[in-house]
Amino acid sequence: MSTTNPAPAGTAGTAGTAGKQVWTELRGLREGVDLGTPPRDGEPVTLTIDGVETTVPAGSSVLLAATVAGATVPKLCATDTLECFGSCRVCLVEIEGRRGYPASCTTPVESGMTVRTGGERLTALRRGVVELYLSDYPASDIEGGWSEFHTTLEQVGLTDGLPADHPYRGGDHHQHLAVDESNPYFLFDPAKCIVCSRCVRACQEIQGTFALTISGRGFGSKVAASQDESFLASECVSCGACVQACPSDALIEKSLFPGGYHRADSGQA
Amino acid sequence: MPIPVKPDNSVVTTCAYCGVGCGFKAETHEGRVVRMVPWKEGKANHGHSCVKGRFAFDYYAHPDRIRTPMIRASIDEPWQEVDWPTAFAHAASELHRLQDTYGRGSVGAVSSSRCTNEEIFLMQKFARVALRNNNIDNCSRICHSPTQFGLSATLGAGAASQHFDSVLQADVVLVVGANPTEGHPVFGSMMKRAVRRGAKLLVIDPRRTETVDSPHCRAEVHLALRPGTNVLVLNSVAHVVVTERLYDEEFVRARCDWDDFQLWMGLVGDERYSPEVVGPEAGLDPEDIRRLARIYASGPKSTIYYGLGVTEHSQGSTGVMCLGNLTMACGMVGREGVGVNPLRGQGNVQGGSCLGSWPHMLTGYRFVTDPEVRGSFEAEWRIELDSEPGLRLPNMFDAATAGTFKGIYIQGEDPVQSDPNRHHVEAALRSMECVIVQDLYLSETAKFAHVFLPGSSSLEKDGTFTNAERRVSMVRQVVEPLGGLADWQITVGLMNAMGYECHYDHPSEILDEIARTSPAYSGMSFEKIEKLGSVQWPCNTDAPEGTEVLHTVQFPRGKGSFMLTQYVPTRERTDDQYPLLLTTGRILSQYNVGTQTRRTANLAWHDEDVLEISAGDAAARGLATGDRARISSRYGSTELTVRISERVNPGIVYTTFHFAHTMVNNLTSNLDDWATNCPEYKVTAVDVVKAAAHAGVGS
Amino acid sequence: MSFIDTERLVTMANQIGDFFAPYPHARRVEGVRNHLRNYWDPRMREAFFEYLDATGGPDVHEHVKEAAALVRADTAPVRAYAGPPKQLDATS
Repeated sequence: MSTTNPAPAGTAGTAGTAGKQVWTELRGLREGVDLGTPPRDGEPVTLTIDGVETTVPAGSSVLLAATVAGATVPKLCATDTLECFGSCRVCLVEIEGRRGYPASCTTPVESGMTVRTGGERLTALRRGVVELYLSDYPASDIEGGWSEFHTTLEQVGLTDGLPADHPYRGGDHHQHLAVDESNPYFLFDPAKCIVCSRCVRACQEIQGTFALTISGRGFGSKVAASQDESFLASECVSCGACVQACPSDALIEKSLFPGGYHRADSGQA
Repeated sequence: MPIPVKPDNSVVTTCAYCGVGCGFKAETHEGRVVRMVPWKEGKANHGHSCVKGRFAFDYYAHPDRIRTPMIRASIDEPWQEVDWPTAFAHAASELHRLQDTYGRGSVGAVSSSRCTNEEIFLMQKFARVALRNNNIDNCSRICHSPTQFGLSATLGAGAASQHFDSVLQADVVLVVGANPTEGHPVFGSMMKRAVRRGAKLLVIDPRRTETVDSPHCRAEVHLALRPGTNVLVLNSVAHVVVTERLYDEEFVRARCDWDDFQLWMGLVGDERYSPEVVGPEAGLDPEDIRRLARIYASGPKSTIYYGLGVTEHSQGSTGVMCLGNLTMACGMVGREGVGVNPLRGQGNVQGGSCLGSWPHMLTGYRFVTDPEVRGSFEAEWRIELDSEPGLRLPNMFDAATAGTFKGIYIQGEDPVQSDPNRHHVEAALRSMECVIVQDLYLSETAKFAHVFLPGSSSLEKDGTFTNAERRVSMVRQVVEPLGGLADWQITVGLMNAMGYECHYDHPSEILDEIARTSPAYSGMSFEKIEKLGSVQWPCNTDAPEGTEVLHTVQFPRGKGSFMLTQYVPTRERTDDQYPLLLTTGRILSQYNVGTQTRRTANLAWHDEDVLEISAGDAAARGLATGDRARISSRYGSTELTVRISERVNPGIVYTTFHFAHTMVNNLTSNLDDWATNCPEYKVTAVDVVKAAAHAGVGS
Repeated sequence: MSFIDTERLVTMANQIGDFFAPYPHARRVEGVRNHLRNYWDPRMREAFFEYLDATGGPDVHEHVKEAAALVRADTAPVRAYAGPPKQLDATS
């Protein structure tokens, strides 16, 4: 069996595009499909993913190729509207002839590569990483959630959150940080932020405003607007790119909370 | 528990705000729109959005929405609610009465660029078959009518030559009289992306706009010219191209009329347009003009994006021609990453231009005075058409104040607020005997109306929009029309009441009619747009899937034409009494006259129009940021809050025009473009004085 | 009463004249003629002609008056066009 990445549509009448292919790549985006990393417009490269021979343009990531091949690779910090970042360590795969478990989002495809996206070892590794994220996510916001983060939980078998006897339970969390509701249209709840930087990168790469940064280090890292101002007072132009990019409901439309946004009292998961 | 409501339905549609025309998914929960999510496959936005389209959608359900037709005998009487048939019958009998009394040409209509292509087409059909005249105009009269005129004259097609993402292939981006990061934000982001990837940015604009300097995006050259000197400065740029032999002779010889090129070289090559002569008059360093010309001409791929700062002048059409000439001279047209592109204001203003909503042209920019063109419509519509041009909107108002124009059907426009010289417009409307307004809300114009027909927002109907890159995209009904009828159904109802029988089951049948009668749209259908996602015109047998880049092989009429663009200074001048020049623009969070955005939480960012003034001019008048100031021109006055700003040069003041109560169009002159009557919004001589505290607004 | 204020019409006509002024004489006149014929409502043209008849149009550019005469004569109808003024053989 063989699959190919759909060729970017509407490229008729192009000329002299060498080195500046990003516009055709943007046209490779598809609704309802997250390729994980941006579509590329290079020469075809053929590799094998879980036994399926797959052809994608050169410059594509292994994550993209896996998605095209029909594999489901869990991920958090990667999305196809943003350049790869490689921070969440959830999209790990095995590649024949390579040591360890490289992140599929930051690994470019090579001709003849043989990739395995599943298996017990990978599942355990991914679950371990996601458990860490989960330890800092409000427990009451797991059930009924429909964000990308919740989908990832499902993919790694953590739909019910952390088990009651899990060693991570009772750890530190971010629920003492106030919700920023200054923007009339969206809010930022730091308790649900997994610091994947998708919002920061969307503000830079897509919108070009550079209003968001990650301030602080380690567990203290958090998303900050301008010089740690409220979203409304900051340079944010409210384009919504960060909200669109956020996988975990930390940045989210207020219109989805008709009765207002009220945090539950319970602790973390 | 803060679990978000999960939408139960999602409809892909097109944003109704600016001319970028972003694709959105309108997500609903229990029949109400709960969010708008940018559509990844939207070719204008690729999943990006701005604050207006993404969030400011609640205007559609605002309590101010009128849901029932209303009539009244005079504008001093209260409104009387009636049913649709009564409203249609009353409006039709009034229009007939006026035509019987004052003549067939005493009434007219104006279409809305917030309505769909199908609705705009029906409005011009209404004028032609029901009013039996050509008194039909559209709102691009006051914004981009010079684009249609100027680009048609030079390149042969009055529309953008490129698609938006073509900017990502440009080496040089020249922005003239536009502020895309505020006015066309999603394109602005795309343009900034191009600049971050290494493209050089050139800006010609009186104001140091957000586009001139933002993080990781800074203009290489910014010509902060004196308002009103566009043609002078663009001729000077051309002067450098000609005298330094930077033009692409091979391109010009192959693609353009060589004789007119020679004439043009003679004009712009004249010493009066040398940067050293022009610089002092336009307030510029001559060397900057030279640098800009050299960078543009050297490309290798240079593209132009321009806005109302070019068109809204007494030489607006000439300014557009300057840009057309420049692209041809430098061979910067007909391939990817080059071209000349208007940034159009309203969601469907390109459609408004394309679909024959003009007093002198039928669809596809074809003259009503041409018997062959008329013949094709007469065959389709089975009725004889008026062979003479009708009145433009400003001329309708002129005629009304002269007592010769008596009735108007206005669809989704608010000329009292948006058109120049408010006093003149109000006097004109007051003198009419039947003003029919079709709108979402009781607008400023509705105060002068005798019939009010509650319109439908773009969330309430099916149809298509044509964005500023000629892209035709689907508008899909998300919720039922609040007033019971979609705008196209209202026009059909009125047409039938007037005695012209017509019937459509669905707007797709109207697009089929457009395709039958309009060459550029001949290959279009709802089915095709559904299949391809969107289609750029021309779409015909030669280009069945549409055309992304225009002019690749030849110009529509064969050879491109260099137009002679002599600089004629505006009559609007500063003097001792009015020493400052006022120019106008837009801000990101508000849209046009603000009818929609003022009814949303976007007020958090911008709750009034503010006057920007340089520190020196402010100090001379004893003004500080936050003070109220009275701004007076030869035509009227108003009050605004002052902000001292480094964005404007001494001698220049700037404001936006989003709020009705500030009545900025009280100030603007009745001067307009020589070819199209597009008002000279961008130049008004004013004075600014400190206002007494708590003084009233208006004049 | 004039259909539209004559001062307004004169301003408009002269502005059109200003644009075509840099062309050689015949094309200058033809440019104005094409514009008046195909962009102006006939009632505006009539009002303008009446003004010219009544006053001789002292404030109207000469080539605009020549163009107005051609529009009135309408002897050799030329198909409407956009773009540069044509070089017509017979009319000038």
